[in-house]
Amino acid sequence: MTRLLRHFQSSVGSKVLLALSGLGLVGYVIFHMLGNLQVFEGSRALNSYAAFLRDMPIVLWTARIGLLGIAVIHVALAIHLSLQNRRARPRAYAIHRYRYASIASRTMAASGLVVLLFIVFHLLHLTAGIVGPSPPDRIDADGYRDVYGLLIHAFQNPVIVLIYVAGQVGLAFHLHHAVSSSLQTLGFEHAALNGLLKAAGPSVALLVVLGNVAIILAVFLRIVR
Amino acid sequence: MITKLDPKIPSGPLEAKWDRHRFSEKLVSPNNKRKLTIIVVGTGLAGASAASTLGQLGYQVECFCFHDSPRRAHSIAAQGGINASKNYQDDGDSVGRLFYDTIKGGDFRSREANVYRLAQISGQIIDQCVALGIPFAREYGGQLANRSFGGVQVSRTFYCRGQTGQQLLLGAYSALCWQIERGQVTMRPRTEMLDLIVVDGQARGVVVRDLVSGRISIRTAHAVVLATGGYSNVYFLSTNASGSNVTATYRAWKQGAAFANPCFTQIHPTAIPPSDAYQAKLTLMSESLRNDGRLWVPKMLGDTRAPRDISEGERDYFLERRYPRFGNLAPRDIASRAVKTVCDEGRGVGPNGHGVYLDFAGVVEQQGLDVVAERYGNLFDMYHRITGEDAYRAPMRIYPAPHYTMGGLWVDYNLMSTIPGLFVIGEANFADHGANRLGASSLMQGLGDGYFILPYTIGHYLATAKLPPVTEDHAEAREAHQRVLNRTARLLAANGRRTAASFHRELGSLLWNYCGMSRNETGLKLALSSIPTLREEFWRDVVVPGAGDSFNQELEYAGRVADYLEFAELLCHDARHRQESCGAHFREEYQTGDGEPKRDDTRFAHVAAWEYREGASPILHKEPLAFEFVQPTTRSYQ
Amino acid sequence: MRFTLNIWRQNGPTESGRFVSYEADDVSQGMSFLEMLDGVNQKLLVAGEEPVAFEYDCREGICGSCSLVIDGIPHGPDQGITTCQLYMRRFPDGANITIEPWRAKAFPIVKDLVVDRSALDRVMQAGGYVSVNTGGAVDGNALLIGKDQAETAMDAASCIGCGACVAACKNASAMLFVAAKVSHLALLPQGKPERTGRVTAMIEAMDREGFGSCGNQYECEAVCPKRISVRFIATLNREYRRAGIVESALPNASESPHAESV
Repeated sequence: MTRLLRHFQSSVGSKVLLALSGLGLVGYVIFHMLGNLQVFEGSRALNSYAAFLRDMPIVLWTARIGLLGIAVIHVALAIHLSLQNRRARPRAYAIHRYRYASIASRTMAASGLVVLLFIVFHLLHLTAGIVGPSPPDRIDADGYRDVYGLLIHAFQNPVIVLIYVAGQVGLAFHLHHAVSSSLQTLGFEHAALNGLLKAAGPSVALLVVLGNVAIILAVFLRIVR
Repeated sequence: MITKLDPKIPSGPLEAKWDRHRFSEKLVSPNNKRKLTIIVVGTGLAGASAASTLGQLGYQVECFCFHDSPRRAHSIAAQGGINASKNYQDDGDSVGRLFYDTIKGGDFRSREANVYRLAQISGQIIDQCVALGIPFAREYGGQLANRSFGGVQVSRTFYCRGQTGQQLLLGAYSALCWQIERGQVTMRPRTEMLDLIVVDGQARGVVVRDLVSGRISIRTAHAVVLATGGYSNVYFLSTNASGSNVTATYRAWKQGAAFANPCFTQIHPTAIPPSDAYQAKLTLMSESLRNDGRLWVPKMLGDTRAPRDISEGERDYFLERRYPRFGNLAPRDIASRAVKTVCDEGRGVGPNGHGVYLDFAGVVEQQGLDVVAERYGNLFDMYHRITGEDAYRAPMRIYPAPHYTMGGLWVDYNLMSTIPGLFVIGEANFADHGANRLGASSLMQGLGDGYFILPYTIGHYLATAKLPPVTEDHAEAREAHQRVLNRTARLLAANGRRTAASFHRELGSLLWNYCGMSRNETGLKLALSSIPTLREEFWRDVVVPGAGDSFNQELEYAGRVADYLEFAELLCHDARHRQESCGAHFREEYQTGDGEPKRDDTRFAHVAAWEYREGASPILHKEPLAFEFVQPTTRSYQ
Repeated sequence: MRFTLNIWRQNGPTESGRFVSYEADDVSQGMSFLEMLDGVNQKLLVAGEEPVAFEYDCREGICGSCSLVIDGIPHGPDQGITTCQLYMRRFPDGANITIEPWRAKAFPIVKDLVVDRSALDRVMQAGGYVSVNTGGAVDGNALLIGKDQAETAMDAASCIGCGACVAACKNASAMLFVAAKVSHLALLPQGKPERTGRVTAMIEAMDREGFGSCGNQYECEAVCPKRISVRFIATLNREYRRAGIVESALPNASESPHAESV
């Protein structure tokens, strides 16, 4: 056991945990997006889906606590590694030019912070309903909690839309580098697959952001009402 | 005083000498090995392989190099490959043939017994390197690949692309790393040996300077191994690394080790010609280029037309003309000299007439551009980067450059110098290449000495010699220490106006002109009279800034130049003494009517070993070379 | 040609440094970057000033000594070469050129542009070798190694240990350096018996020396004079993961993977 602990304490071990936790969170983000896309199928679909999730409190809370744990690990390791990395070069170059590094890869800390702040806001706003213009918590015709209504109400406010879109842009930047990077950290590499692995990050980023922003804008532009 | 040079060659048939010798050698018991300290100076192929093997055997090894890491030694730059008589290609190779090729290639100026031993262990070297994880080139079936190299008729050269030296050195370095990790070897990088400590006639330590702190200290041991490479840089411009120098071996010479055959300096034919005055180094283009490229110059004197405007009939393919049998593949010394001859006639090409064309037009036409690009693409790129010229369109220009030195400290069969306890291995000794080294043989010799010969022979010395304790306070140690302090102080005190590099450059051009590819009595006398003047001027007018107690690259360099300025004289003495032409040593007075070298076996079938005398010319000792197993023949490539 | 050089000068590891401007004139196109610096130093010497300390040796791109960050890029603007293989025709006449040392905590400055890279040696000493004794090796052809495998191992083994990968990395990480050695030996049968201990020991040594972690930006590959691929970093990660699984199952795992060899 101590050996395993030592294994994950090294820089590479920490990176593996960072990658695994990150990929876990990416999985959730995709799942979350796919669920929410049901908004396009109308209020009934979305509300019954929401009720379906809430009907399994044990699963729901296990998932929530699990996600929170993963997120905490991810953020803690990211902070730990960045501090370590900063110490590795106490004096910066007067001029430093990049050749291969994408803008996304150079702004991981910033985009990560944007995503973190956004998640906190999102939870306080839609999940807990503590911040933001208080939406009417209603019951729909089928007796489900009207999550659909909540969305419609929330995304008619341009400030909220702006915050959500900004959060998604941050997420896009983060995932653009994160997904392919995680696969590399986990050691996925094969001559025949390298193109695919490299494209994974930008593709996932695009997919998630298109999906999520589509929901937000569809509501804001009254395509979905 | 050296009384007699005893090569200590074991008796018996050639094939059995090494085995018998190893059996008759005394061994050191494992318990005693722990109490014995060995200093190894240099971490090239010879030094790193010796230090790691000695550490593995249980000795306490202290290893020094002036580089920041042992992995940077100049062995790393060897491109072509390493020879071994494995006969994997079943093309008729054998220990005997490798032995004979090496003896003949050396123009019958090396010891039979040494060369035979080298050929015997050549196969083991490959096995050892493979075991260390060196990624040699392989055939599709997974077997080791070979190529033919350096004008021999069998394929016995093992290689790792064009980076064989690098891979072999990194292998030896990795073995060294293991012994450092085990605590058997203490590695001291950025530490330069500046003197040898001889106590009661035995080598018992060195004086070193820590190049970062500038601290000069005494390190004592039971034996000292020098693996400090060759002295081609005495010519200023050479293919050697900037740091390669003669200091360690030269200082050992001044303490009584005989220096053998210093005039055997190999000039490699295919380097990129020098372009301007600031040039610090000549870049070697692989010898493999001569497999397909044709060397030529215009027939007409002072022909400055572009090469493509000169028709076939107006070109002189001088190697093909003079050596129809070997053509462009003639051995290094012969090709270099032929290049010099046509340039001296005023038919050289390029800005300063120092160059000949190496033309690939024929092979491009026959086999296509793609084939040439695949075979030599990286070399053509390198040429383009350095000269800005495109060798696919116009022929390359090449010119010979000092490359390797066959001469070195004299050693006996046990690789021990004339100072008991001072062992010399690799290029630093004179041993196995005679008057000319064949391609891919230096790596073999360096590793052979380090892995397989020295570890046996040094044991016998340590087991039999009386070695009373020597501490840093010993009078001889203190004296050596003081010598280094004085010299360092003197360099710093000169405070003149000329840089060490300007003296080095002047010395280099003097030697290149009068003791380079061809030598004659008048030129050598001129050089011998000019060198002392230059040396005096150096000590009067050199500028060395800064202090001795800090990182001071100019001080390091000036010290090396000071040694070149003395050593150059020894080089010229030896060249003057050797009144014959053999191998890389060409005396203009001794040639046939058509300009071929004339060897003189009656007067010069010996090793010329020089003993230092303070304030006087060195004393010559001769070790006769007896050829019992091969008959010296005229080395003709015509 | 003429250039204005902005060169980092620093007397020792603990002293503070600064940029000093120098003029390099009489530069010809065919001069290498280091020869251009030689010229500057020769003039400084004659003027009685301390020359700029910088490292060099073979001047043909294989020893790994030279180590300059030129206008923000280790080994300068061209790819696949070392500083000593950079020629002045690459720069426009009259250019301003900024020259800095490798900067990393693990590479303390010795003087001016010279840094101490012994950290890389210590990482190698932790496990970058095959522990075989001299003598008694089996015949070189006893173990067959496929050509492709040998070539890939050679790709990795061609590392010259210059440290440009560390210098270019945002995190001053030595992952490409470690990856090259671990991959080289893991690819060959000779390196297999020790692959588990080797990768763990080398990664831990790398961390001890104060190198950062890999951010997968691949700047290392961009500046590597031997164009060593970051694919080997994935191999290293895989090897490390494998080692974690294998080692956690060892009954009596010793503290140091190489302890038994002492």
